[in-house]
Amino acid sequence: MQKNSFKQSLLIVLLFTMQALSATLSAKPVNGKVTSATDGEPLIGATVQVQGTKTGSVTDLDGNYTINAEQGQTLVFSYVGYLTKTVKVGGGSTIDVTLEEDRQSLEEVVVIGYGVQKKKLLTGATTQVKGEDIAKMNTTSPLQAMQGQTPGVSIQSTSGQPGSGLKVQIRGLGTVGSSGPLYLIDGIGGDINTLNPADIESIDVLKDAASAAIYGAQAANGVVLVTTKNGREGKAEISFDAYYGWENVARKAPMLNSSEYMTIMNEQQINSGNQPYDFTKMKSIYDPQGNLYDTNWIDQMFKDNAKQESYNLGITGGNKVSTFALSLGYMSQEGIVGGKDVSNYERYNFRINSEHKIIDKLLKVGEQVSYVYTKTTGIGVGNQYNNTLRGAFGTSPLAPVYATNIFDGSQADAGSEASSYNGFYGSPYNATDYSDWYLYDGNPYGSMMTNTNNENKGAVFSGNVYAELTPMKGLTLRSVFGAVYNTSEYRGFTPFYHFSPYNYNDTRTSANQSMNHGLSMTWTNTAQYNWNVADHAFSALLGMEASRYEGTSVGASNGYLKEGFDDWKHAYVNNGTATSTDDGLGAGGSPHGDSRNVSYFGRLGWNWKETYMINATLRADGSSKFASGHRFGWFPSVSAGWTISNEKFMQSVSSWMDFLKLRVSWGQVGNQNISDYQYLAPVKNTNTHYLFGTSGYDDTESVSVLGTNWGAYPSRVANPDVTWETSEQFNIGLDARLIGGHLNVNLDYYIKTTKDWLVTAPVLATVGTGAPTINGGDVKNKGFEFNLAWNDMIGKEFRYNIGVNGAYNKNEVGSIPTDDGIIHGATNQLYDNAPEFYRAQNGHAIGYFWGYKTAGIFQNQQEIDEWISNGNGVLQADVKPGDVKYYDINHDGQINDDDKVDLGNGMPDFTYGFTLGFDWKGLDFSVQASGAVGQKIVQTYRNHANAQANYTTEILQRWTGEGTSNKIPRVTTTNINWQFSDLFVHDGDYLRISTVTLGYDLARIWKNKYCKQLRLYVQAQNLLTFTKYKGMDPEIGYGTDGWVSGVDVGYYPRPRTILVGANVKF
Amino acid sequence: MRTNIFIKAKRLVKVFSYLLPLTSYLFISCSENYLDVESKTESNTSNFYKTQNDAYRALIGCYDGWRQTSSNPGFAFYVASEVMGAECFGATGNTDGRGYQAVDRFDIAQSSSDLNLYEADWARYYQGIYRCNELIKYEPQIEWKNEALHEIYMGECHALRAIMYFDLVRMFGNIPLLTVATEENVPQADPAEVYQVIFDDLQYAIDHIPANAYPKADAANNDGHVTKYAAEALYARAYLYYTGYYGASIEGVTKEKALSYCEDVISSGEYALVPEYKNLWPAASAGIAEVGDAITLLGSYAGDGNSETILAMKFTNTQDYNGNNDSNRWQVMLGMRNLPVAPYGRGWGALTVNPQFVNQYEAGDTRKKASVIDIVNEGIVNADGFEASFKDQREYTGYVIKKYSPLCFADGTSAVKIDGSGGFQEQNHQDWVIMRYADVLLMAAELGSGSAQSYLDKVRARAGLQPVAVSKAAIMKERKFEFAFEAINYWDLLRQGVDYAAQQIATNGIDVLSGGNADKVVISAENILAKKGLCQIPQNQIILSNGVLKQNAGW
Repeated sequence: MQKNSFKQSLLIVLLFTMQALSATLSAKPVNGKVTSATDGEPLIGATVQVQGTKTGSVTDLDGNYTINAEQGQTLVFSYVGYLTKTVKVGGGSTIDVTLEEDRQSLEEVVVIGYGVQKKKLLTGATTQVKGEDIAKMNTTSPLQAMQGQTPGVSIQSTSGQPGSGLKVQIRGLGTVGSSGPLYLIDGIGGDINTLNPADIESIDVLKDAASAAIYGAQAANGVVLVTTKNGREGKAEISFDAYYGWENVARKAPMLNSSEYMTIMNEQQINSGNQPYDFTKMKSIYDPQGNLYDTNWIDQMFKDNAKQESYNLGITGGNKVSTFALSLGYMSQEGIVGGKDVSNYERYNFRINSEHKIIDKLLKVGEQVSYVYTKTTGIGVGNQYNNTLRGAFGTSPLAPVYATNIFDGSQADAGSEASSYNGFYGSPYNATDYSDWYLYDGNPYGSMMTNTNNENKGAVFSGNVYAELTPMKGLTLRSVFGAVYNTSEYRGFTPFYHFSPYNYNDTRTSANQSMNHGLSMTWTNTAQYNWNVADHAFSALLGMEASRYEGTSVGASNGYLKEGFDDWKHAYVNNGTATSTDDGLGAGGSPHGDSRNVSYFGRLGWNWKETYMINATLRADGSSKFASGHRFGWFPSVSAGWTISNEKFMQSVSSWMDFLKLRVSWGQVGNQNISDYQYLAPVKNTNTHYLFGTSGYDDTESVSVLGTNWGAYPSRVANPDVTWETSEQFNIGLDARLIGGHLNVNLDYYIKTTKDWLVTAPVLATVGTGAPTINGGDVKNKGFEFNLAWNDMIGKEFRYNIGVNGAYNKNEVGSIPTDDGIIHGATNQLYDNAPEFYRAQNGHAIGYFWGYKTAGIFQNQQEIDEWISNGNGVLQADVKPGDVKYYDINHDGQINDDDKVDLGNGMPDFTYGFTLGFDWKGLDFSVQASGAVGQKIVQTYRNHANAQANYTTEILQRWTGEGTSNKIPRVTTTNINWQFSDLFVHDGDYLRISTVTLGYDLARIWKNKYCKQLRLYVQAQNLLTFTKYKGMDPEIGYGTDGWVSGVDVGYYPRPRTILVGANVKF
Repeated sequence: MRTNIFIKAKRLVKVFSYLLPLTSYLFISCSENYLDVESKTESNTSNFYKTQNDAYRALIGCYDGWRQTSSNPGFAFYVASEVMGAECFGATGNTDGRGYQAVDRFDIAQSSSDLNLYEADWARYYQGIYRCNELIKYEPQIEWKNEALHEIYMGECHALRAIMYFDLVRMFGNIPLLTVATEENVPQADPAEVYQVIFDDLQYAIDHIPANAYPKADAANNDGHVTKYAAEALYARAYLYYTGYYGASIEGVTKEKALSYCEDVISSGEYALVPEYKNLWPAASAGIAEVGDAITLLGSYAGDGNSETILAMKFTNTQDYNGNNDSNRWQVMLGMRNLPVAPYGRGWGALTVNPQFVNQYEAGDTRKKASVIDIVNEGIVNADGFEASFKDQREYTGYVIKKYSPLCFADGTSAVKIDGSGGFQEQNHQDWVIMRYADVLLMAAELGSGSAQSYLDKVRARAGLQPVAVSKAAIMKERKFEFAFEAINYWDLLRQGVDYAAQQIATNGIDVLSGGNADKVVISAENILAKKGLCQIPQNQIILSNGVLKQNAGW
């Protein structure tokens, strides 16, 4: 080797000498192979050009090229999607080149509405995430992988339960109605959550109205375009990806243990003027050996090492006529709460995409077809009454999980002699019916394991068939017919159980089943024409689209399952023996509301030398949701770009400024997401009965008689004028590429106003019936986004990249169309009889928390007296030192609703993310992190209306005497110090290291001709979270309404997962 | 080859140039039709209220709306009447909020954040009224096939609207008056205007519902309908209340008319007093029964729709958590707190009976035992669970309402369903008797009937008491015990003047036990006077109306 290079150097010296001697040296053939640095594959059709000349060549199917070049000339190797490389011709005749993939290439195309566009010609604000970046995050849903990678797109989990959806808001919350973006998978609406991440080529998010306006009435909340992988001409490639992981809870809420709990309970008693408890006399709180029970219910609820696994097989390939990509995937994830039996998600995916050239250069047809099958089992993750985990927070530690005495089922057996027992249905779990501490405690774990009997199976078959005709140069006619057929089946079972006098089912076992199916069809026709006049390039698009949806649901239930068939396995309606609705027999079947849309749209684009560019779009949408005359909406947009770096005056900085473009856009988009027939007043006839006659007390048939005595009434005020909600957005942005393409910068500023909300605003009770859906209210979101990406190499083998992005958003509501200018939040959410605690109101953020502001704790009687004599009110009827000082905002001597103020909201002001990665000789390492700042979390693990409910250990810092605490009040048996106030509101700022991955490609050392890649890796997900929030998880997308976030009533936390995996390519 | 393709292409372009406009045209022309969809399961106001059957369904909707004031209430008219009155205290659980105390003592300081105590009630009444207003509005467009039914249905509909306005105006005094549904922000009306509508509607019912529309003989099938006689009796009640509380009169609404209506009810022969007073009330006549034994459970109960019932609100045990609201939802409130002792079912311990009221019964009055559960003398203090219940009870007095007590079987299982499967919280279904024959007798006496003495005697004799000379005072005293715990006494007090009512209700401090500890109920007359005996108007509604609605004085 050294010898060789010596020879080469010698040759070069010789050649130079010769050149010096003769200036007319002729060109010689140079050849070589161009390959990709990413996977070592040959690059087909890469351009090789002799710099400064017109001599050029293209690589063949094996990546080989031949070109005539003189020694000393420079060869320029370029390929779309790769960084251009230059090599000086030396003495040799072979030059092999490896091209680096350019992750930020401007020549690359991105997906826009009904087409694609070169990145450098974009005039709107869009963000693209590559499929491979999503796949390597190993998340169940592609959306989760996008967290922290797409500035301006807020993605929050709504629950850590496997298979749970994510709450996605693009550029802030725009409405109190439906606020999720429009998802289009290969142009057809679909469920992104069940998409196999391995099938994704790219995801493009259209953030500004100008980009989204071509989708008109469905695009008010932004558009997410998913493109799935297609085949490539060349040798077939087979890939196999698998991982297996272990999930654990990252942080558990610390609850009081038995001795702490007893201390607090007694202190509550004394503080409330009662006698302390005599715990020594309570038999039920000691085990048979006389030890005090000390159950940590939170520990009990979580399962260690819940498993997650995924396997995926993909094949792509094709020839000159046809190309294809097919894949088969399976994934499953167990829940960390309760484990597989109660919380589980499984998914099977199958997809085939192919394209065929029927007539070369004239007609091609293709299809993209996928099938997804999912199976979900889950616990309740809703509000305080429908949240399985919540029970574990409130239950006292003074009862065991399992009963030590099991009786034969007769209540007479159970005596207070036994310290713990379950006399019901052979259950191994303790019941507290005879507890001499607290009868109503129950058993949250037993209840979860016994009562979670549900299974949801869903299958979605979706696909589209398209034909594309190119009758002349520049003209493309395309027709796509897409359909999504989904069907789902639910089965549930209610067993007998008994855990406390409040938590039991002694009546009957019952089974229920339901099935749904729905079909949506879309037919899209577009004509695209591109032409040039001198240096002016034009493109025009015209199209129309029609879509419809229809479906049906049927369901049935039955009670009193026959013996031997009265368990989960046999929980089918046919096993029920009931003959009347009173005994649980029920059936129902109904069509889903039909909905239809017709749309016409067009786009006109112009650019001059790719330096000045303008795009304009217009869409007209007609929807069956609205009454005739209000059906059609018009959605225009216009956007312009200026590539400043093309200007002469920029030449002085062209050494480091490769590209600089300014973008400005404006547009309007709509939202039609309301229930059907809102323009009519429906006449309700269900749940409306009156039974005349004297059937009286002994009548057991009253239910069936009732059925025929139905009544009716108009259940809603009609609003014939209801029409589109409109979102209008102005965007200004800057794209720059600096320092030889190593640094890419995108900046955007926007003002988005969503007006004429489709809302069901509260009406006066005197209206007497349901409130209509009306158009009214608006919200302004203003924000700023940035994205910085740096790619470079150190030496020849060490590649690294760093990316940082962030987004700031401010949300402010205006002109809510009610007399009081408020849309009120739900009540009864935080604790029993809790009042409204969030609302949408003019001048505040949507869903801001509304409650009392506190001024610390009254330390002594003197403080109380002074407080009152200064004209301040107190909320506590019998106020004592240690009680909370609620601010008397209006200083009227009373604490009431007038004193409630804005305590912040659950939406972050600023979200950010960063990525860091390197690879070196087959070794790769990457870190992704995401964070959020400024959001508040309302935490209420305890139902303060229940005096016996357990507390978190935070209560140990309570006020116990002058100077002991100025934050946490004394404990009492009432919840007078726990009326909704800032004591419930916590900072939710966090930074989460979402993934850390370390991998190595064994194919680097184990060279063989079959296996191109054999990468093994370890990955940690949700490894570390930096936050001051003391709950189990600071990322809380849950809210009791869609328009409120950050309500932690016992949130199912996201697991921490360690997984190992392999990527193999043949 | 190349030319071939070129020709093909040209041809295709030609084809497309025809096809594209054609398809577009097709779509535009049919898109309006394409976008027309309609519900396959639900009617709407453009295709309902057309047939006589629709009218019947709408009338059931009105009854359901009215019943929801008790089956889906906030506070409920019944509970409010008892808590505000002299018969009961607010009570409830010892750690519950003090909203009931705020109502009982006419003092918001008891629970200063409770600004919407009656919001659900306010809404329920207007929902019921809305349904009546809609049926009345659509009456002309309905194709009536049977003129007699037309008269009856509309008569009942008007009567229901009157009943609901009468409850509303008694509770709140100042209420928006809507006789046509509207979304407008309607200010509160002069009570006289509301009463005008009440009397007009009742008059309409009296004039349109024939006397034989719903004969008592067929009570098994028709009990619960508002009859001509019910409307007449209610007319008298509204007359007495309006003239008493406001000291005013409405043209054409006279004492003579009210009396004649009472006499009409009496002379109809449709009604009679149930011989034994206790048999009017399930809990007073029930036996200790095993689950499934309806006969023992009901004991000597005279039954729903008995000879004395002129109007009752009907309930069924079909309340569920899926939107059916058919059961008596306030009944559970007054049951003994979490304590089932057969035949008395468990409840939430609200509305404990004022011991001073119990002490006023005359010796030998059989109504005392039929009306009140005496916890000590009935041996309930010895029951399992009494201690826990007592410790959890606020304002324990030793007395609980019996007339509407929930029932249970011997083992404590709630008896709301005979097979024991019912929910004690939500499925109670004792009919609420709104107008009894005894009331008509005493109203007739009060209105100056020639048979006043005999009417009073009848009522007293049934209670096991000797006759007394008839007088206003004697009648009012009789009413107090006859109608105890029937949501009548409070309004009887008010119609004798707010001053009088305040005196009767106020107390300097009655000893009670809360959580087992000594406590006092203090109710100041000033507080009652300040509010004129009226209820708090829901603050949320005042806010929603942007101040068009005004809060009642004192609240």
